[in-house]
Amino acid sequence: MGGTGYNSACAGDKEAAGLPSDTNHLRNLVDHIRQGDAEAEAEVVRQFARRIFVMGFVRTRDREAARDLVQDVLMAVIGALRKGQLQDPERLAAFVHGTARNLINNQLRNAGRHPPLEPLTEDLPQDCIIEQLEHGERVRMVHQALEKLGEEDRKILRMTLVDGRKPGEIAAALGLAPDVVRTRKLRALKRVTDLIQKKLSRTGATLPHS
Amino acid sequence: MNCREVEEQDVPERYALGRLTDSERDEFEQHYFECDSCFSQLQTALALQEELRHQPRVRTQAGGTSLRRMWFWAPASAALALFLVVGVWWYAGRKQQFAPQATSSTPVVKPETSGQLASSAAPSLEELARVQPPAYSPVVLRGAEDEAHESFRKAMQHYLKNDYTGAIPGLRAAVKANPDTASFHFYLGACYLLTNQSDWAIKSFRKTISLENSTYSGQAHFYLAKAYLQEKDVSAAERELQATVPLDGGNAAEAREILHQLRK
Repeated sequence: MGGTGYNSACAGDKEAAGLPSDTNHLRNLVDHIRQGDAEAEAEVVRQFARRIFVMGFVRTRDREAARDLVQDVLMAVIGALRKGQLQDPERLAAFVHGTARNLINNQLRNAGRHPPLEPLTEDLPQDCIIEQLEHGERVRMVHQALEKLGEEDRKILRMTLVDGRKPGEIAAALGLAPDVVRTRKLRALKRVTDLIQKKLSRTGATLPHS
Repeated sequence: MNCREVEEQDVPERYALGRLTDSERDEFEQHYFECDSCFSQLQTALALQEELRHQPRVRTQAGGTSLRRMWFWAPASAALALFLVVGVWWYAGRKQQFAPQATSSTPVVKPETSGQLASSAAPSLEELARVQPPAYSPVVLRGAEDEAHESFRKAMQHYLKNDYTGAIPGLRAAVKANPDTASFHFYLGACYLLTNQSDWAIKSFRKTISLENSTYSGQAHFYLAKAYLQEKDVSAAERELQATVPLDGGNAAEAREILHQLRK
Protein backbone atom coordinates (compact mmCIF):
# COMPACT_ATOMS: atom_id res chain seq x y z
CA MET A 1 0.00 0.00 0.00
CA GLY A 2 1.17 3.49 -0.59
CA GLY A 3 0.97 3.78 -4.37
CA THR A 4 -1.71 6.40 -4.16
CA GLY A 5 -0.49 7.93 -0.94
CA TYR A 6 -0.39 11.66 -0.59
CA ASN A 7 2.37 11.79 1.96
CA SER A 8 5.28 11.56 -0.44
CA ALA A 9 7.04 14.54 1.12
CA CYS A 10 7.30 13.04 4.58
CA ALA A 11 10.35 10.93 5.18
CA GLY A 12 9.76 10.38 8.89
CA ASP A 13 12.94 12.20 9.51
CA LYS A 14 12.84 15.21 11.77
CA GLU A 15 14.82 17.41 9.37
CA ALA A 16 12.48 16.70 6.46
CA ALA A 17 9.54 17.12 8.78
CA GLY A 18 10.19 20.80 9.30
CA LEU A 19 10.97 21.27 12.96
CA PRO A 20 14.48 22.37 13.89
CA SER A 21 15.95 18.97 14.55
CA ASP A 22 19.55 20.06 14.88
CA THR A 23 20.52 19.53 18.51
CA ASN A 24 22.55 22.71 18.61
CA HIS A 25 19.68 24.77 17.29
CA LEU A 26 17.28 23.39 19.88
CA ARG A 27 19.85 23.88 22.63
CA ASN A 28 20.35 27.49 21.50
CA LEU A 29 16.60 28.04 21.38
CA VAL A 30 16.11 26.73 24.90
CA ASP A 31 19.17 28.66 26.16
CA HIS A 32 17.88 31.89 24.65
CA ILE A 33 14.53 31.43 26.32
CA ARG A 34 16.26 30.86 29.64
CA GLN A 35 17.96 34.21 29.06
CA GLY A 36 14.63 35.90 28.41
CA ASP A 37 14.92 36.21 24.61
CA ALA A 38 11.45 37.19 23.42
CA GLU A 39 12.16 36.21 19.82
CA ALA A 40 13.08 32.67 20.89
CA GLU A 41 9.85 32.47 22.87
CA ALA A 42 7.94 33.70 19.82
CA GLU A 43 9.48 30.90 17.74
CA VAL A 44 8.20 28.32 20.19
CA VAL A 45 4.75 29.93 20.01
CA ARG A 46 4.82 29.87 16.20
CA GLN A 47 5.80 26.21 16.11
CA PHE A 48 3.33 24.90 18.63
CA ALA A 49 0.30 27.17 19.04
CA ARG A 50 -1.65 25.67 16.13
CA ARG A 51 -0.71 22.11 17.08
CA ILE A 52 -1.91 22.65 20.63
CA PHE A 53 -5.15 24.15 19.35
CA VAL A 54 -5.85 21.22 17.02
CA MET A 55 -5.05 18.72 19.77
CA GLY A 56 -7.34 20.53 22.19
CA PHE A 57 -10.13 20.89 19.66
CA VAL A 58 -10.06 17.23 18.60
CA ARG A 59 -10.07 16.07 22.22
CA THR A 60 -12.74 18.46 23.50
CA ARG A 61 -14.65 19.49 20.33
CA ASP A 62 -14.78 22.93 21.90
CA ARG A 63 -13.04 25.78 20.06
CA GLU A 64 -13.11 28.11 22.99
CA ALA A 65 -11.68 25.50 25.34
CA ALA A 66 -9.00 24.78 22.74
CA ARG A 67 -8.06 28.49 22.56
CA ASP A 68 -7.83 28.64 26.34
CA LEU A 69 -5.67 25.55 26.25
CA VAL A 70 -3.20 27.18 23.85
CA GLN A 71 -2.71 30.08 26.25
CA ASP A 72 -2.37 27.82 29.29
CA VAL A 73 0.03 25.38 27.67
CA LEU A 74 2.29 28.02 26.18
CA MET A 75 2.43 29.91 29.46
CA ALA A 76 3.35 26.71 31.28
CA VAL A 77 5.94 25.69 28.68
CA ILE A 78 7.59 29.11 28.37
CA GLY A 79 7.61 29.41 32.13
CA ALA A 80 9.32 26.06 32.49
CA LEU A 81 11.85 26.87 29.77
CA ARG A 82 12.68 30.18 31.42
CA LYS A 83 13.47 28.30 34.62
CA GLY A 84 15.67 25.82 32.76
CA GLN A 85 13.40 22.89 33.60
CA LEU A 86 13.83 21.12 30.23
CA GLN A 87 17.00 19.09 30.57
CA ASP A 88 17.01 17.63 27.08
CA PRO A 89 16.28 20.29 24.40
CA GLU A 90 15.72 17.59 21.76
CA ARG A 91 12.59 16.60 23.63
CA LEU A 92 11.01 20.02 23.31
CA ALA A 93 8.09 18.78 21.15
CA ALA A 94 7.41 15.87 23.52
CA PHE A 95 7.56 18.27 26.46
CA VAL A 96 5.01 20.61 24.87
CA HIS A 97 2.75 17.67 23.98
CA GLY A 98 2.97 16.21 27.48
CA THR A 99 2.13 19.57 29.05
CA ALA A 100 -0.84 19.96 26.72
CA ARG A 101 -2.08 16.46 27.49
CA ASN A 102 -1.97 17.06 31.25
CA LEU A 103 -3.77 20.38 30.99
CA ILE A 104 -6.45 18.93 28.71
CA ASN A 105 -7.09 16.13 31.21
CA ASN A 106 -7.41 18.70 33.98
CA GLN A 107 -9.70 20.79 31.83
CA LEU A 108 -11.96 17.83 31.04
CA ARG A 109 -12.19 16.98 34.72
CA ASN A 110 -13.25 20.53 35.48
CA ALA A 111 -15.39 20.83 32.37
CA GLY A 112 -17.74 23.76 32.31
CA ARG A 113 -17.19 24.85 35.87
CA HIS A 114 -17.33 28.40 34.62
CA PRO A 115 -19.37 28.10 31.47
CA PRO A 116 -19.27 31.09 29.17
CA LEU A 117 -22.51 32.99 29.22
CA GLU A 118 -21.70 35.53 26.53
CA PRO A 119 -22.05 34.93 22.80
CA LEU A 120 -18.92 33.57 21.21
CA THR A 121 -18.45 36.45 18.80
CA GLU A 122 -18.12 39.21 21.38
CA ASP A 123 -14.73 40.61 22.36
CA LEU A 124 -12.56 37.88 20.90
CA PRO A 125 -8.90 38.38 21.63
CA GLN A 126 -6.71 39.07 18.62
CA ASP A 127 -5.11 35.63 18.45
CA CYS A 128 -8.53 33.98 18.37
CA ILE A 129 -9.47 36.16 15.42
CA ILE A 130 -6.24 35.27 13.65
CA GLU A 131 -6.85 31.57 14.31
CA GLN A 132 -10.35 31.90 12.91
CA LEU A 133 -9.03 33.65 9.80
CA GLU A 134 -6.33 31.03 9.22
CA HIS A 135 -8.72 28.17 9.75
CA GLY A 136 -11.30 29.92 7.60
CA GLU A 137 -8.76 30.32 4.80
CA ARG A 138 -8.01 26.60 4.83
CA VAL A 139 -11.71 25.73 4.85
CA ARG A 140 -12.26 28.09 1.92
CA MET A 141 -9.48 26.39 -0.05
CA VAL A 142 -10.93 23.01 0.81
CA HIS A 143 -14.32 24.18 -0.44
CA GLN A 144 -12.81 25.20 -3.77
CA ALA A 145 -10.88 21.94 -4.03
CA LEU A 146 -14.01 19.90 -3.31
CA GLU A 147 -15.82 21.61 -6.19
CA LYS A 148 -13.25 20.11 -8.54
CA LEU A 149 -13.98 16.58 -7.37
CA GLY A 150 -16.68 14.38 -8.82
CA GLU A 151 -19.88 13.86 -6.90
CA GLU A 152 -19.08 10.29 -6.02
CA ASP A 153 -15.62 11.20 -4.72
CA ARG A 154 -17.19 13.89 -2.54
CA LYS A 155 -19.68 11.35 -1.33
CA ILE A 156 -16.89 8.93 -0.42
CA LEU A 157 -15.06 11.66 1.51
CA ARG A 158 -18.22 12.72 3.33
CA MET A 159 -19.13 9.16 4.27
CA THR A 160 -15.57 8.69 5.53
CA LEU A 161 -14.92 11.93 7.38
CA VAL A 162 -18.40 12.97 8.51
CA ASP A 163 -20.38 9.76 8.78
CA GLY A 164 -17.37 7.77 9.94
CA ARG A 165 -18.10 4.82 7.69
CA LYS A 166 -15.50 2.22 6.81
CA PRO A 167 -14.57 1.42 3.18
CA GLY A 168 -16.62 -1.79 3.26
CA GLU A 169 -19.76 0.05 4.38
CA ILE A 170 -19.23 2.79 1.79
CA ALA A 171 -18.67 0.16 -0.88
CA ALA A 172 -21.94 -1.55 -0.01
CA ALA A 173 -23.82 1.75 -0.05
CA LEU A 174 -22.40 2.85 -3.40
CA GLY A 175 -22.23 -0.49 -5.15
CA LEU A 176 -18.44 -0.39 -5.46
CA ALA A 177 -15.68 -2.77 -4.41
CA PRO A 178 -13.99 -1.87 -1.11
CA ASP A 179 -10.58 -1.59 -2.79
CA VAL A 180 -12.03 0.86 -5.28
CA VAL A 181 -13.48 2.96 -2.47
CA ARG A 182 -10.15 3.04 -0.66
CA THR A 183 -8.22 3.96 -3.79
CA ARG A 184 -10.67 6.69 -4.75
CA LYS A 185 -10.65 8.06 -1.22
CA LEU A 186 -6.85 8.30 -1.17
CA ARG A 187 -6.77 9.87 -4.62
CA ALA A 188 -9.46 12.40 -3.66
CA LEU A 189 -7.55 13.32 -0.49
CA LYS A 190 -4.33 13.65 -2.47
CA ARG A 191 -6.08 15.84 -5.02
CA VAL A 192 -7.43 18.14 -2.32
CA THR A 193 -4.03 18.33 -0.63
CA ASP A 194 -2.26 19.05 -3.93
CA LEU A 195 -4.78 21.75 -4.86
CA ILE A 196 -4.26 23.45 -1.53
CA GLN A 197 -0.47 23.25 -1.85
CA LYS A 198 -0.71 24.71 -5.37
CA LYS A 199 -2.76 27.65 -4.10
CA LEU A 200 -0.30 28.23 -1.31
CA SER A 201 2.71 28.21 -3.60
CA ARG A 202 0.95 30.46 -6.14
CA THR A 203 0.10 33.10 -3.59
CA GLY A 204 3.35 32.69 -1.71
CA ALA A 205 1.25 32.40 1.41
CA THR A 206 1.92 29.93 4.12
CA LEU A 207 -0.53 28.65 6.59
CA PRO A 208 1.01 28.28 10.01
CA HIS A 209 3.00 25.14 10.56
CA SER A 210 2.23 23.67 7.12
CA MET B 1 4.61 6.12 14.96
CA ASN B 2 6.17 7.23 11.68
CA CYS B 3 4.83 8.88 8.56
CA ARG B 4 4.40 5.64 6.65
CA GLU B 5 2.28 4.20 9.44
CA VAL B 6 0.25 7.44 9.57
CA GLU B 7 -0.55 7.10 5.87
CA GLU B 8 -1.09 3.35 5.71
CA GLN B 9 -3.37 3.21 8.74
CA ASP B 10 -5.48 6.28 7.78
CA VAL B 11 -4.48 7.82 11.07
CA PRO B 12 -5.50 11.47 10.38
CA GLU B 13 -9.07 10.55 9.47
CA ARG B 14 -9.41 8.14 12.39
CA TYR B 15 -8.03 10.81 14.70
CA ALA B 16 -10.50 13.38 13.35
CA LEU B 17 -13.31 10.90 13.98
CA GLY B 18 -12.11 10.09 17.50
CA ARG B 19 -11.46 6.46 16.58
CA LEU B 20 -7.90 5.98 17.74
CA THR B 21 -7.16 4.18 20.97
CA ASP B 22 -5.70 6.34 23.74
CA SER B 23 -2.19 5.11 23.06
CA GLU B 24 -2.55 5.55 19.27
CA ARG B 25 -3.86 9.05 19.85
CA ASP B 26 -0.91 9.95 22.09
CA GLU B 27 1.54 8.49 19.57
CA PHE B 28 0.01 10.40 16.65
CA GLU B 29 -0.07 13.64 18.60
CA GLN B 30 3.58 13.23 19.56
CA HIS B 31 4.33 12.59 15.89
CA TYR B 32 2.51 15.61 14.47
CA PHE B 33 4.02 17.84 17.13
CA GLU B 34 7.27 17.10 15.30
CA CYS B 35 6.15 16.49 11.69
CA ASP B 36 4.97 19.43 9.59
CA SER B 37 3.80 17.24 6.72
CA CYS B 38 1.57 14.96 8.79
CA PHE B 39 0.27 17.99 10.70
CA SER B 40 -0.67 19.67 7.43
CA GLN B 41 -2.54 16.53 6.32
CA LEU B 42 -4.38 16.48 9.63
CA GLN B 43 -5.40 20.12 9.25
CA THR B 44 -6.66 19.40 5.74
CA ALA B 45 -8.65 16.41 7.01
CA LEU B 46 -10.24 18.54 9.73
CA ALA B 47 -11.07 21.33 7.27
CA LEU B 48 -12.55 18.74 4.89
CA GLN B 49 -14.61 17.29 7.71
CA GLU B 50 -15.98 20.71 8.59
CA GLU B 51 -16.72 21.71 5.00
CA LEU B 52 -18.37 18.39 4.09
CA ARG B 53 -20.51 18.58 7.20
CA HIS B 54 -22.06 21.79 5.95
CA GLN B 55 -22.58 20.72 2.36
CA PRO B 56 -26.00 19.43 1.33
CA ARG B 57 -26.27 15.70 1.44
CA VAL B 58 -27.45 13.51 -1.44
CA ARG B 59 -28.64 10.24 0.00
CA THR B 60 -27.79 7.01 -1.73
CA GLN B 61 -29.33 3.60 -1.47
CA ALA B 62 -27.78 0.17 -1.89
CA GLY B 63 -26.73 -0.53 -5.45
CA GLY B 64 -25.77 3.05 -6.11
CA THR B 65 -29.19 4.42 -7.05
CA SER B 66 -29.22 8.07 -6.14
CA LEU B 67 -32.19 10.20 -5.26
CA ARG B 68 -31.23 12.60 -8.01
CA ARG B 69 -31.66 9.88 -10.61
CA MET B 70 -35.01 8.97 -9.09
CA TRP B 71 -36.25 12.55 -9.20
CA PHE B 72 -35.30 12.69 -12.88
CA TRP B 73 -38.10 10.25 -13.51
CA ALA B 74 -40.54 11.97 -11.14
CA PRO B 75 -42.13 14.24 -13.79
CA ALA B 76 -42.78 11.23 -16.04
CA SER B 77 -44.29 9.34 -13.12
CA ALA B 78 -46.48 12.32 -12.26
CA ALA B 79 -47.69 12.61 -15.89
CA LEU B 80 -48.56 8.93 -15.95
CA ALA B 81 -50.42 9.23 -12.67
CA LEU B 82 -52.38 12.22 -13.96
CA PHE B 83 -53.26 10.32 -17.12
CA LEU B 84 -54.54 7.41 -15.07
CA VAL B 85 -56.62 9.67 -12.82
CA VAL B 86 -58.14 11.51 -15.76
CA GLY B 87 -58.76 8.24 -17.56
CA VAL B 88 -60.56 6.68 -14.66
CA TRP B 89 -62.57 9.83 -14.05
CA TRP B 90 -63.63 9.89 -17.69
CA TYR B 91 -64.49 6.21 -17.56
CA ALA B 92 -66.44 6.58 -14.36
CA GLY B 93 -68.29 9.50 -15.84
CA ARG B 94 -69.20 7.52 -18.94
CA LYS B 95 -70.33 4.60 -16.80
CA GLN B 96 -72.56 6.83 -14.73
CA GLN B 97 -74.03 8.37 -17.87
CA PHE B 98 -75.20 4.99 -19.03
CA ALA B 99 -76.07 3.62 -15.61
CA PRO B 100 -77.80 6.42 -13.69
CA GLN B 101 -79.00 4.03 -10.97
CA ALA B 102 -75.49 3.06 -9.98
CA THR B 103 -74.46 4.45 -6.65
CA SER B 104 -70.87 3.33 -6.48
CA SER B 105 -68.48 6.13 -5.88
CA THR B 106 -65.70 6.99 -8.23
CA PRO B 107 -62.80 4.75 -7.46
CA VAL B 108 -59.76 6.67 -6.42
CA VAL B 109 -56.56 5.64 -8.04
CA LYS B 110 -53.61 6.69 -5.99
CA PRO B 111 -50.73 7.91 -8.09
CA GLU B 112 -47.77 5.62 -8.18
CA THR B 113 -45.17 6.67 -5.76
CA SER B 114 -41.65 5.58 -5.88
CA GLY B 115 -42.06 2.58 -3.66
CA GLN B 116 -38.35 2.23 -3.30
CA LEU B 117 -38.12 5.75 -1.96
CA ALA B 118 -41.14 5.53 0.31
CA SER B 119 -40.40 2.19 1.86
CA SER B 120 -36.69 2.02 2.29
CA ALA B 121 -35.41 5.61 2.44
CA ALA B 122 -33.33 6.11 5.55
CA PRO B 123 -34.23 9.10 7.72
CA SER B 124 -32.01 12.11 7.23
CA LEU B 125 -29.85 13.52 10.00
CA GLU B 126 -32.32 16.39 10.29
CA GLU B 127 -35.09 13.92 10.95
CA LEU B 128 -33.03 11.99 13.47
CA ALA B 129 -32.14 15.26 15.21
CA ARG B 130 -35.76 16.22 15.81
CA VAL B 131 -36.52 16.29 19.48
CA GLN B 132 -39.47 16.61 21.81
CA PRO B 133 -39.00 18.93 24.81
CA PRO B 134 -38.03 16.99 27.92
CA ALA B 135 -40.84 16.75 30.41
CA TYR B 136 -40.90 19.08 33.37
CA SER B 137 -43.07 18.99 36.46
CA PRO B 138 -42.87 22.00 38.75
CA VAL B 139 -41.53 21.16 42.16
CA VAL B 140 -42.86 22.94 45.21
CA LEU B 141 -39.98 23.87 47.48
CA ARG B 142 -40.39 23.96 51.22
CA GLY B 143 -39.18 27.14 52.83
CA ALA B 144 -38.02 30.34 51.20
CA GLU B 145 -36.91 30.24 47.60
CA ASP B 146 -33.43 31.52 46.78
CA GLU B 147 -32.74 33.80 43.84
CA ALA B 148 -31.54 30.98 41.60
CA HIS B 149 -34.62 28.84 42.14
CA GLU B 150 -36.91 31.81 41.69
CA SER B 151 -35.29 32.59 38.33
CA PHE B 152 -35.56 28.94 37.39
CA ARG B 153 -39.22 28.67 38.38
CA LYS B 154 -40.18 31.79 36.42
CA ALA B 155 -38.19 30.63 33.39
CA MET B 156 -39.90 27.25 33.45
CA GLN B 157 -43.28 28.94 33.28
CA HIS B 158 -42.20 30.08 29.82
CA TYR B 159 -40.93 26.56 29.12
CA LEU B 160 -44.30 25.02 29.95
CA LYS B 161 -45.90 27.36 27.41
CA ASN B 162 -43.37 26.16 24.80
CA ASP B 163 -41.75 29.61 24.89
CA TYR B 164 -38.19 28.28 24.92
CA THR B 165 -36.64 31.55 23.77
CA GLY B 166 -38.41 33.32 26.59
CA ALA B 167 -37.14 30.78 29.11
CA ILE B 168 -33.46 31.20 28.26
CA PRO B 169 -32.67 34.48 30.08
CA GLY B 170 -34.14 33.24 33.37
CA LEU B 171 -32.33 29.91 33.06
CA ARG B 172 -29.04 31.69 32.36
CA ALA B 173 -29.60 33.80 35.45
CA ALA B 174 -30.30 30.68 37.52
CA VAL B 175 -27.11 29.04 36.23
CA LYS B 176 -25.09 32.14 36.98
CA ALA B 177 -26.46 32.33 40.52
CA ASN B 178 -26.00 28.62 41.16
CA PRO B 179 -23.70 26.94 38.64
CA ASP B 180 -23.76 23.51 40.29
CA THR B 181 -27.44 22.66 39.91
CA ALA B 182 -27.87 20.03 37.21
CA SER B 183 -31.51 20.78 36.45
CA PHE B 184 -30.72 24.40 35.60
CA HIS B 185 -28.11 23.39 33.04
CA PHE B 186 -30.25 20.58 31.70
CA TYR B 187 -33.27 22.69 30.90
CA LEU B 188 -31.10 25.52 29.61
CA GLY B 189 -29.55 23.00 27.25
CA ALA B 190 -33.02 21.83 26.24
CA CYS B 191 -34.09 25.39 25.43
CA TYR B 192 -30.97 25.96 23.36
CA LEU B 193 -31.59 22.69 21.53
CA LEU B 194 -35.23 23.51 20.85
CA THR B 195 -34.22 26.93 19.46
CA ASN B 196 -31.52 25.37 17.24
CA GLN B 197 -28.60 26.80 19.20
CA SER B 198 -26.87 23.46 19.19
CA ASP B 199 -23.40 24.73 20.12
CA TRP B 200 -24.73 26.27 23.34
CA ALA B 201 -26.87 23.20 23.95
CA ILE B 202 -23.74 21.04 23.76
CA LYS B 203 -22.02 23.15 26.42
CA SER B 204 -25.03 23.00 28.75
CA PHE B 205 -25.54 19.26 28.42
CA ARG B 206 -21.85 18.55 28.94
CA LYS B 207 -21.94 20.62 32.07
CA THR B 208 -25.03 18.68 33.21
CA ILE B 209 -23.18 15.40 32.68
CA SER B 210 -20.13 16.64 34.56
CA LEU B 211 -22.29 17.32 37.63
CA GLU B 212 -23.05 13.57 37.78
CA ASN B 213 -26.66 13.93 38.88
CA SER B 214 -28.41 10.59 38.42
CA THR B 215 -31.71 12.23 37.44
CA TYR B 216 -30.32 14.32 34.63
CA SER B 217 -27.06 12.75 33.45
CA GLY B 218 -28.69 9.96 31.47
CA GLN B 219 -31.14 12.28 29.77
CA ALA B 220 -28.35 14.78 29.10
CA HIS B 221 -26.43 12.15 27.09
CA PHE B 222 -29.51 11.61 24.93
CA TYR B 223 -30.18 15.28 24.24
CA LEU B 224 -26.47 15.91 23.77
CA ALA B 225 -26.64 13.28 21.02
CA LYS B 226 -29.52 15.23 19.45
CA ALA B 227 -27.45 18.41 19.55
CA TYR B 228 -24.56 16.62 17.86
CA LEU B 229 -26.97 15.36 15.20
CA GLN B 230 -28.04 18.96 14.62
CA GLU B 231 -24.34 19.75 14.19
CA LYS B 232 -24.09 16.68 11.89
CA ASP B 233 -21.35 15.27 14.12
CA VAL B 234 -22.36 11.66 13.70
CA SER B 235 -19.48 10.04 15.56
CA ALA B 236 -20.04 12.22 18.64
CA ALA B 237 -23.78 11.55 18.47
CA GLU B 238 -23.15 7.79 18.35
CA ARG B 239 -20.93 8.06 21.40
CA GLU B 240 -23.63 9.84 23.40
CA LEU B 241 -26.36 7.49 22.22
CA GLN B 242 -24.29 4.53 23.37
CA ALA B 243 -23.94 6.23 26.76
CA THR B 244 -27.70 6.81 26.86
CA VAL B 245 -28.76 3.17 26.51
CA PRO B 246 -27.67 1.91 29.94
CA LEU B 247 -28.48 5.15 31.79
CA ASP B 248 -31.72 6.53 30.45
CA GLY B 249 -34.56 4.02 30.45
CA GLY B 250 -37.03 6.50 29.01
CA ASN B 251 -34.98 7.33 25.93
CA ALA B 252 -33.07 4.06 25.57
CA ALA B 253 -35.38 2.64 22.91
CA GLU B 254 -35.18 5.75 20.74
CA ALA B 255 -31.42 5.89 21.27
CA ARG B 256 -31.10 2.29 20.05
CA GLU B 257 -33.26 3.01 17.03
CA ILE B 258 -31.25 6.09 16.07
CA LEU B 259 -28.01 4.12 16.42
CA HIS B 260 -29.50 1.47 14.17
CA GLN B 261 -30.41 4.09 11.56
CA LEU B 262 -26.99 5.75 11.73
CA ARG B 263 -25.21 2.47 11.21
CA LYS B 264 -27.22 1.44 8.14
